[in-house]
Amino acid sequence: MIGTQLAGNLMQGLVLGGIYGMATMGLSLIFGVLRVVNVGHGAFIMVGAFITLWIFTAFGLTPVIAIPVALIVGMAIGFVFFYLVMRRLIKAPELATLLATFAVGILLEEIVKLIFGSEFRGYNWPVGKIVLPITVFPMSKIYAFIGSIAIAMLLYIWFKKTRAGTAVRSVVEDSEGARVCGVNVSWVYALSFAIGIGLTVTSGVLLTMFIPVGINPYMGGGYTLKAFVIAVLGGLTSPYGAFFGGLIFGLIENGSYTLFALIPGVEAFAMTRFLSFLILLLILLIKPTGLLGAK
Amino acid sequence: MTLLKLENVTKRFGGLTAVNKMSFEIEQGESIAIVGPNGSGKTTLYNVISGVYFPEEGEVFFEDKNITHLPSYRRAPLGLGRTFQIPRPFSSATVRENVAVGAMFGTLSHQIGVDESLKIADHYIELVGLSAHLDKEAGSLTPTEKKLMEIARALAMKPKLLLMDEALAGMHPRDIDKMVTFLKKVKEEENIAIVSMVEHIMRAVVGFAERVIVMYQGEKLIDATTAQALSDPRVVEVYLGHPPEGTHA
Amino acid sequence: MKGKIVKYYPLVPVYIVYILLFLIGINVSGMWQLVAMLAFYCAIGQAFNIFLGMTGYVDFGYVAFMGLGTYGMALSILYLHQFQWLGIGIIIIGLLIALIMASLLSIAVGAVALRLRGAYFAIATIGVNEGFRFLIEGAKIWGGSEGIIFSGQLAQAFGKETASVLSTLWADIFLFFIAGIAALITIYYMRGKIGYALTALREDEDAAKVMGINVTKYKIIAFITSSSLAGVVGASAWALKLTYVFPPQAFEIHYTVECIIIVLLGGAGTLLGPVVGGLIYGLTKYWLTVIVPGFQLLIFAPIIIIIIVAFPEGIIGVLKRRFKGSAFKKFII
Repeated sequence: MIGTQLAGNLMQGLVLGGIYGMATMGLSLIFGVLRVVNVGHGAFIMVGAFITLWIFTAFGLTPVIAIPVALIVGMAIGFVFFYLVMRRLIKAPELATLLATFAVGILLEEIVKLIFGSEFRGYNWPVGKIVLPITVFPMSKIYAFIGSIAIAMLLYIWFKKTRAGTAVRSVVEDSEGARVCGVNVSWVYALSFAIGIGLTVTSGVLLTMFIPVGINPYMGGGYTLKAFVIAVLGGLTSPYGAFFGGLIFGLIENGSYTLFALIPGVEAFAMTRFLSFLILLLILLIKPTGLLGAK
Repeated sequence: MTLLKLENVTKRFGGLTAVNKMSFEIEQGESIAIVGPNGSGKTTLYNVISGVYFPEEGEVFFEDKNITHLPSYRRAPLGLGRTFQIPRPFSSATVRENVAVGAMFGTLSHQIGVDESLKIADHYIELVGLSAHLDKEAGSLTPTEKKLMEIARALAMKPKLLLMDEALAGMHPRDIDKMVTFLKKVKEEENIAIVSMVEHIMRAVVGFAERVIVMYQGEKLIDATTAQALSDPRVVEVYLGHPPEGTHA
Repeated sequence: MKGKIVKYYPLVPVYIVYILLFLIGINVSGMWQLVAMLAFYCAIGQAFNIFLGMTGYVDFGYVAFMGLGTYGMALSILYLHQFQWLGIGIIIIGLLIALIMASLLSIAVGAVALRLRGAYFAIATIGVNEGFRFLIEGAKIWGGSEGIIFSGQLAQAFGKETASVLSTLWADIFLFFIAGIAALITIYYMRGKIGYALTALREDEDAAKVMGINVTKYKIIAFITSSSLAGVVGASAWALKLTYVFPPQAFEIHYTVECIIIVLLGGAGTLLGPVVGGLIYGLTKYWLTVIVPGFQLLIFAPIIIIIIVAFPEGIIGVLKRRFKGSAFKKFII
């Protein structure tokens, strides 16, 4: 009995992990190109969640429409954020960018609170479910998973095949070298940042397709920590590492939840959060470049 | 005892071997120039000696003590000082405070307090001619002044061996001559061995160094007196781009 | 001897401010709440500044030390209240336990995380904060997610009257002492070898190492100092004052944000900075709570951004430039 429950939870974890992974790709991209840690990461996911909520409740449109909307809005926010704030901090000490991204995250939370209020909201997207021998998947979760993989693959193609993508890759490798080769590095910075933020906001849409409840302005905090763990797992600079890191994380999170729930006198949910921190610390200590990163 | 000894030091970065089996010795009070074109491994060598990198193979000895894997902050009090090619001042601190840092943490006795360090700083700042700028923020100095401050800071550490990284690059020939005279004087008075790293054998090196080590592609090409090095055909080839006989392309 | 005393002149304006604040609070009716809040912000700001300001590293999980200190005091009262003969010793032990617990955590975190560079360190500290909170909740330590309420025990130990005075008056007075001690430690560090080492490593860690500075050692000293002070502040301002401790509140990142605002606003790495920042932040927040409750952060967040982009040195930093070379320079540091 435990076996099937565990297996079922692990499958759920894998699917959730795909979404976590996709949510973290933006973080890794921004760090890889600009060496900036977006401490306000969770807040952008929250923005995506609210976009979905709004589109669904105000217009009755399926969340799938929210995906491109979120991407465009996210990239717009990213560009504005970059040109207003980040660009002036390129030469500043690391502390400055950490605090700036942190403050922008807070600003977003407060703005959303102003517009939508701080109650917990949700929506219901009735699209049926898939029944498997060991577990049941609502179709919305499946769509979310497919969406995550699709976006990850699109990103891959963009990186490999387009000129802009190649330019970004060259800057990650060696920004001076890229500059000397004629790449407009500051434009690459702006573009990468915008794409990173766009990806993060879009992931909020997919996340709500997976978990359509609990949407509130402060929901981002927990996801920021998860994203850091995943990013570090996968190697902070690689978006693909982030995706696979997410899968691994999803497995661990769900698996450990099942196991913790078996221990009496222990609050399983809180313990899984504690476990993720422990993993983060261990990886930072032992292999900061991540399980999948380069040496 | 030998001041600095390198035995078969090899440093690799992934597939690239930046320094390959370098061996040489430096005695107290010598003045040496390490010469070599871009990419010959000079900076890496300096980084290995000062502890920024640890070599994959080989060993580094300072006064017969094996310092190969000693963290860099422990090497300074032993008597190893260093300047950087692009000066690295502590910009928000004053010139005086910058140089005082050298005395406070870089000296053998390690017991030098704040007040004494400031006095020592004043002495060396005067020596390099920056007394007028004592209380200025280090970040506001001109590049040449920053170089001078960097030297004062390194000297305040009372080093037995001073590694100077392209200290003379980009300087006016007149200033170079002044600097050479200055270094010679410092060397005599403080009995420091000075190793200067330069890209080309220039008038500075000729006037200053008794001995020259020429590096090429991470290896030691020549280790001889300045006169011998200048007349060695292999050195000429290195600068003309043909790999000398006996080395790999 | 004179030279030694002159070094400490900058403390004068700081202490004047604290004493003035205290006198206003005691003598003007109704002002004590506000004054206590300002003292709280100044104290925690000075404590936070010792690490952030002097090393340039951000500890996003700073509130964990305040939270831990709160538990320290709570546990002392909870378990020692029967020993009434201890008298005020219970409180003193509480403060000590808070100090020790916060120090231990900071040593553990510091030894591990301080070897990491800026961004990795920041991530690690967020992890510590969250991790600790969820460990307490998850493993149901110290009351788990329900926390501890110890008002009853406090009253039992001291009698209702004294307990009330302790919570409402002395908890806040302690904050003044802590702020004063924090200021003293700050200037002691700044003028001493530690200050030079920290400035050097803040500016250029690698160059500092080559100059002979053991950067990890000095980072840890600053970190432990800053964190222990936070523990004592938590013990006093949260535990003793509120007589309960509750994990989601004790580890809320909101408080770390306030520390960051205070130090940035006033000027990181300066002595007067956190005082000025604490006063301005406290007063503004109080005023905003009256006018537009619930929206303080909405106003402060863009202010932080503007400060970071345009005035990274904060108010005192700007003043230092203005008064360069004048007689005031002795006091504005």
